[in-house]
Amino acid sequence: MITIILWILDRLKPLFEALGADYGQLRAIVQVKLTMDSRRSFVSLGRYGKQSGESNTNFIRILAIYAIIGGLISFAMLGIAPKENLFLPLTLQFSYIMALCAMTLISDFSSVILDSSDNQIILPRPVSSRTLWLARVVHITSYLFAITLSLTVVSIFILASRFGAASGLLFLLLSLLSAILMVFLTNIFYLVLMKFTSEEKLREVINYFQIVMAILFYGSYQVLPRLIGSERMLQEPLAHQSWHYLIPPMWMAGATESFIQPVFDQTHLIFLALALLTPFTGLWFMNRFLTTDFTQKISSIDQDGQTTPTPIATTSTNRQSWMEQLADWFTNDSLERAAFAFTWRITSRDRKFKLKTYPQLGFGLAYVIAISFQSGSFSSGSFFYLFALYFGGIYVMVAQYQLRVSDNYRASWVYGSAPIQEPGSILSGSLKAIIIKLLVPFYTLLSSYVLFRYGLDKISDVLLAFSNSLVMLLSAALLSTRSMPFSIEQDAMKQNNTARGLLISLVLALVGFSHYGLTRIPFGVWIALPFSIILCWYLLQQYKKTGWESVEMS
Amino acid sequence: MLKGINLSVSAGQVVGYIGPNGAGKSTTIKILMGMLPDYAGEATVLGMDVKTNALAIKRRVGYVPENAALYDTLTPMEYLQFIGQLYELDPAHIERKALDLLRLFQLSDHANARMTTFSKGMRQKVLLISGLLHNPDVIFLDEPLSGLDANAVVLVKEIIRQLANDGKTIFYSSHLMDVVEKISDRIIIINQGQVIADGTFAELQHQRPESLEQLFSQLTGNEGQTGVAEEFIHTLKN
Repeated sequence: MITIILWILDRLKPLFEALGADYGQLRAIVQVKLTMDSRRSFVSLGRYGKQSGESNTNFIRILAIYAIIGGLISFAMLGIAPKENLFLPLTLQFSYIMALCAMTLISDFSSVILDSSDNQIILPRPVSSRTLWLARVVHITSYLFAITLSLTVVSIFILASRFGAASGLLFLLLSLLSAILMVFLTNIFYLVLMKFTSEEKLREVINYFQIVMAILFYGSYQVLPRLIGSERMLQEPLAHQSWHYLIPPMWMAGATESFIQPVFDQTHLIFLALALLTPFTGLWFMNRFLTTDFTQKISSIDQDGQTTPTPIATTSTNRQSWMEQLADWFTNDSLERAAFAFTWRITSRDRKFKLKTYPQLGFGLAYVIAISFQSGSFSSGSFFYLFALYFGGIYVMVAQYQLRVSDNYRASWVYGSAPIQEPGSILSGSLKAIIIKLLVPFYTLLSSYVLFRYGLDKISDVLLAFSNSLVMLLSAALLSTRSMPFSIEQDAMKQNNTARGLLISLVLALVGFSHYGLTRIPFGVWIALPFSIILCWYLLQQYKKTGWESVEMS
Repeated sequence: MLKGINLSVSAGQVVGYIGPNGAGKSTTIKILMGMLPDYAGEATVLGMDVKTNALAIKRRVGYVPENAALYDTLTPMEYLQFIGQLYELDPAHIERKALDLLRLFQLSDHANARMTTFSKGMRQKVLLISGLLHNPDVIFLDEPLSGLDANAVVLVKEIIRQLANDGKTIFYSSHLMDVVEKISDRIIIINQGQVIADGTFAELQHQRPESLEQLFSQLTGNEGQTGVAEEFIHTLKN
C-alpha cells in the first residue's frame, strides 16, 4: 500500500511544489509515517485485531468491512430509485462518507494531527512548517481516501452502470473531495478549539469530544434509521430549499444529480460550484493562512505541559476526601483501600481508559432507550426491562477488562518490588472502585429509567438484577487471567475476547432467563435476592484470596 | 520566561550551559534552533537572524534532544535515512555514512533491527548520530551521555572534544556537573531566565568553591543541601 501511495505522490509532485512544499522532505516524512503506522496497531482501529507484523492486514480488513457495508447501503439506496428521486439517497450517501471521515479524523487521527513527537524529531531539522503540515495532510488523506474508496466502490459501479461512466467518475471525484472537505473542517475545528482552550487542556477537551462523538455516532447509528425509516420519504422527489446550500452533503448530491439527470438549472449549478470549489478553496486557505499557526500551536503543546504543573492536587482536595470516604466504607484492609483509591484516580485521568470505556457505557444507555421507544411486543413485555438491566452489566465488564491495560504499564514494577503478600486485595480493591465508580452510577441511571417507564413495583427486579450483575462481573473476573491493574501493554493483550464473550453471553442468558422465570412465581424474585447476595459475597471473598500463583505478570 | 540572556559564543568552543530545572535552558536552545519564533529580542546564529533565516540555520545546526526522542518502530538505518532526507542529503551517501557511524558506535549488528527493543544507551547512540549526520557547525547537546555505558561515555566525550578542535561550536547542556566541569571551555549558569555566571571554570573558581557542583548550588540559591539531606534521613526514620 505504501508503494502505491508513494507512486501516486510522485505523480503529484508539481502540485506539492506549487503549494510551496519541499517534495523530497514531504515524501520522506510521509513514507516514514506510513511505515511506522504499518508496524504498530492503530490507536483504535487496532481494536479489531491483533498486531500483524509488517503488513497492513488490519487496515485492509477494516476497508473490506467498509466496502461490504457501503455496498449494501448503496444497493438499497441507489440500486432501484428512479433517477428523478436520487437526490435524497445521494445526500445520505455523502453524509455517511463525510461522517465516517470526520469520525476517523477525530477518533483515530487526532493523535496524528496533534502528534507532538514531531516537535523533537522533525522541528529541529530544516523542514518548513508548510512542508510538515502538507506531509501531515497527505498522510491523513491517504487513509481517508482509502476509506472513502472502499465505502463508495459499489456506488460508483452502480452509478456508472445505470447512468454512464461519467456519473461514476464524478461520484468518485466528489467522494474524494468530501474527504478533503472534512480534513479542512477538522483542521478548523482543532484551531478554534486551540483558540478557546489552553493548550494543556486541549488533549483533555479532545478526549471528551471523542467520547461524545463516539456516543453520538453509535446513537445515531441506532436512531437515525428509525427516524428516516419510512421508505416513502426516499421515493418522493425533494423540493430544493435555500438552506440546502448550507449542507455539504447536499452540494455533492446536487452536483451528482445534475450529471445523472442531466439538468443544469440555477440550483444545480450552485450545488456544482459549491461541491467543486469549497474543498479546493479550503485547501488553499489552509495552506495559505493556517499552516504556521497550526504547527506553532502544536509545538507549544509540549512546551506548556513541561512548565505548568497540573493543578489537580490543589483543586480536588474535596473530591479526594469524598472518594476516600467511599474507600473507607467499601474496603476492609489498607492494601485494598490503596488499590481502590489508586484505581479511582487513574480511571479519572487516563485518557485512553476513558476513551475505551465511556463510549461503551453511553452506547449501552442509548441502545436501551432507543429500543424501548420502538413499538412492538419486545419492548413492552416484561422481558425487555430485564434484558436492559442485564445489558448494563456487560458494559462494565468491558471496563473491568480494560482495567489491566495502561500506557504506563512499565510502572507495574512496584507490584513486584513491594512486599505484597496478597495480591488479591489489590485486585478486589480496584474491582470495587470500578463497581462503585462505573457500575453503580450507570446502573442507577438505567434502573431509574426502567422504574420510571415500567413502574415502581419493579424494584425487586432491579435489586436482583444488580446483585446478579455483580455475580457475573465477579465470575468474569475470576474466570479470566488475572493481572494487576494497569500492568499490561495494550498491544500485548491477548485477543481471545471471542471465547470469553461467548461464555459471558451464555451465562448472561442463563441468569436472565432464570430471573424471568422467577418473576412468574409470587415473591420469587424477593426469595432469590438473598441467595444472589450471598453468592456475590462468596465470589468476592474468593477473588480477594487470589494468590501470586494465579496472577499473570508481564 | 527568559529575562536577560546576553551571550555571544565564538566558534570552536564547548560551552557548558547549565541551570536548575525550569531555568530556561531548553527555551534558549529552542529559540536558537528557530523552533520558537515567538520571542522578543535578538538572536543570531552563524551570522543569521533566527527570525528570518530559521531554515538556513537549521541546515547547519545539529540537535540532540534529551529523553531519546526518536521513532522507535523504525530501524536505525531507516531512521537515519529519513533524517538525512530531511537535510536533503543524497540517499546513497547517507547509507554509507550511517553504516560507518553505526559501526563506530558498535551498532552494526543492530543496524536493521527495530529500535523498540533497544536499550537506552543504544537509542542514545542513534540519536547522537542523527543529530550529527549532516556535519553541522553548531551543535546543541541535551544530556548527550544519558544511558551510555562507561566506554561509550569516554568515546562521546572525546568526539565532542575533537569536534570543538575542528572549529565547531558546541552547546552542552547537562545536570551532571563533573562532566560539564571537565568538558567545557566556558561555563554559563542560568537561573530563572538570567545568566548568573559566565566564564571558564578557572575564572569561576576565583569565587572560592572547589567544584562546579558547589558553585552551582551556591549560585542558584540551594545552599545547605547537607542540612536538607539530614532532614531527609530524619524524616525517613520516622
